[in-house]
Amino acid sequence: MIEFLSVYPENWASWWPQIQAAMWVTVKLTACAFALAAVVGMLLAVGKLSKTRAIRAFCTGYIEVARGVPALAVLFLLYYGLVPTGLVLDAFVAGFIGLGLSAAGYIAEVFRAGIEAIHKGQREAALSVGMTPMTSFRYIILPQALRIILAPLLNMLIILLKDTSICSLISTPELMLRAKDLAMMSFLPMHLFLLAAVLYFLMSWPLSIMTRRIEIRMRRSTG
Amino acid sequence: MEAFLQKIYTLGGPLLLGAVTTVEITVLSFIAAVVIGLLFALLKLGAPRPFVWLINIYVEVFRNTPVLAQVFIIYFGLAYSGIKVASLSAAIIGLGLNGGAVLTEVFRAGLSAIHRGQREAALSVGMTPWTSIRFIILPQTWRITLPPIGNYAIALLKDTAVVSAIAAPEIMFYARNLVTSTFETTYIYILAALLYFALSFPLARLVDHFEKRQRAWQ
Repeated sequence: MIEFLSVYPENWASWWPQIQAAMWVTVKLTACAFALAAVVGMLLAVGKLSKTRAIRAFCTGYIEVARGVPALAVLFLLYYGLVPTGLVLDAFVAGFIGLGLSAAGYIAEVFRAGIEAIHKGQREAALSVGMTPMTSFRYIILPQALRIILAPLLNMLIILLKDTSICSLISTPELMLRAKDLAMMSFLPMHLFLLAAVLYFLMSWPLSIMTRRIEIRMRRSTG
Repeated sequence: MEAFLQKIYTLGGPLLLGAVTTVEITVLSFIAAVVIGLLFALLKLGAPRPFVWLINIYVEVFRNTPVLAQVFIIYFGLAYSGIKVASLSAAIIGLGLNGGAVLTEVFRAGLSAIHRGQREAALSVGMTPWTSIRFIILPQTWRITLPPIGNYAIALLKDTAVVSAIAAPEIMFYARNLVTSTFETTYIYILAALLYFALSFPLARLVDHFEKRQRAWQ
């Protein structure tokens, strides 16, 4: 055990600068993917409630496909599959677009559930006291819906954080790829993959605890 | 058109072969995950404190680290320590343990949703603790947990794509090999994506059905 652990201080000086830089890429990748997924997901959720049939059909179709296809297949398609068509994406860009478009399908469902959970009397009451549809959405519907969707959104963020690891397979220079490279160079796969797992855990666990707190508070307030 | 169909035909064969393995990995890790999840959720109800802590640690660790890291540790990490695990077994163990953590939480939520009175009533009419779980608690738990279990199965099916990284011969693995031999990159990855969709679509419909039925019950 001591022997196993002593490898870390010996190599720390050479590993840490690379690992640290890679962790930043992981964080940025997660943030970009989440932002893209939130925007696209919101549009899809609103589109699914649209009065125009074509828009509704498109949004429903998108959500179905995004939820049925692995993010890895989307990443490969974006990164390798588009090359013959002349579109060459950077590994980071392909990574966050692929993950974001994939997660958008889930986030759309989260938003939709949130909006639908608000009783329609709320909107009617807001309109009847003279609010415009926009202000009623902004001040009555949205604050209540946000409360409901906060926990599932955070869950999605955790899933995205973990899923950024598969971007290593299209050579985005994030934590998992760096761990793999260092493992190959030093012949210490167990040490490096455990280190990577610990670092992912340290990033993800605080989010998990926060999510659970919110869930508990939500359950209490709604009874 | 004919050339196109010919292309689909030659590329589709190997991908279908991979799909068989994908289904195998999915089914076996699903079974492992259900067994682990149910067992640990039940243990959490009655086991001594230290066991419950261990289960909690297991759940937290596996839910907060990427499945790719878990699979790499089992496949590359253990090989370094002298334990050789075949890629297919490593895939099933990794995905199964990962899913076990997810389903422990799902079953725990399902079990705790059953009112305490159900168990007390069962015991008071003379059932043993085990029969009360088997015949009173579990049947009601299934009803609640079926939709999240179904969603987990879909997520699992998609997650199997990740184990191509340890050379488990599933869809993505065949797709990557085909790319190096045919260079039909775009077609191959679109076909692979369609194949996953074809596999997950029926599951998604099943989950929809469960969710509707559950809503009707409430």
